Amino acid sequence: MSFSREIQERINRFTKEQSQNYLQDAEMTYIEKLRKKSGQTKRKIDKQLSKFKGRSDQGREAQDDMIIYMSDYMNDLMSQGLTEQEAFNKASEELQFASNSEQSEDLNERFQQYYENLDPADYEAIGLFYGGFLFLGLGIGGLTGFLTGGGYEAFFDKGWIDTAIGAGVGIIIGIGLGQITNAIIALKKK
Amino acid sequence: MDNLSEMLKGVLEGIVLEIISRGEIYGYEIVKYLTQMGFEGIAEGTVYALLMRLERNRLVNIVKKPSEMGPPRKFYTLNEQGREKLLSFWAKWDFLSSRIEILRHNGGNKHEL
Repeated sequence: MSFSREIQERINRFTKEQSQNYLQDAEMTYIEKLRKKSGQTKRKIDKQLSKFKGRSDQGREAQDDMIIYMSDYMNDLMSQGLTEQEAFNKASEELQFASNSEQSEDLNERFQQYYENLDPADYEAIGLFYGGFLFLGLGIGGLTGFLTGGGYEAFFDKGWIDTAIGAGVGIIIGIGLGQITNAIIALKKK
Repeated sequence: MDNLSEMLKGVLEGIVLEIISRGEIYGYEIVKYLTQMGFEGIAEGTVYALLMRLERNRLVNIVKKPSEMGPPRKFYTLNEQGREKLLSFWAKWDFLSSRIEILRHNGGNKHEL
């Protein structure tokens, strides 16, 4: 069953706004996050931001899902005798994002999953990787700087500068490798 | 039955996973199934949010099919992770219901618990 043009436009507006509330922050673009937080000034900000890429693929998909779900629900209500307008009012009331309960339920679930997957051995391994890469970088960088700077004879002249630069670069590389390892472990645990 | 929603909060995910495990189904069809079973007090928004959570937690496979309403309609089936979650739900349910039954029938006698 299809709806009148006016109701279809209202469904589109409602789902565009509400579907964003059901998305998690990670699934939204920066603009969508801004829209979500903007509250009463939403329309004004929307107008300003309309020139930028405003919607993520997930945002569009969430709206599509909600349009279908809401249309099914409205058709069901109309088959029970409600008018199109009454069906829209009831459906929009039921599908209005119940911010506190839904968000807290989501957060609870995420915290629960986080603590269920928490393993102290992972953190120990990450720390050891950081330490290991740091010392490795320091050693290799310092040695490279020392050798390229002229070795022992030049060290007390200006060669120590090369050694220090090598050591510094080595530390940065070590931290970088540590971060990459940390990211790999975090992704594997996801 | 009235006022079930509070009690259902913890088990609705398991119920919906069980419904999806029976075969390919779309979002609002789940609501209708629940209504037919007598779960009338469940808000439509709750099921919608739950389906989004199942998708986000990768417990379901999704196939999009064209619909007469414009956007494609999503059909859900359980994947391996979803089946494991469902098994875990039923194990917890069996434990909980058996404990409650014991409590109910031997409630007056502490030593028999």
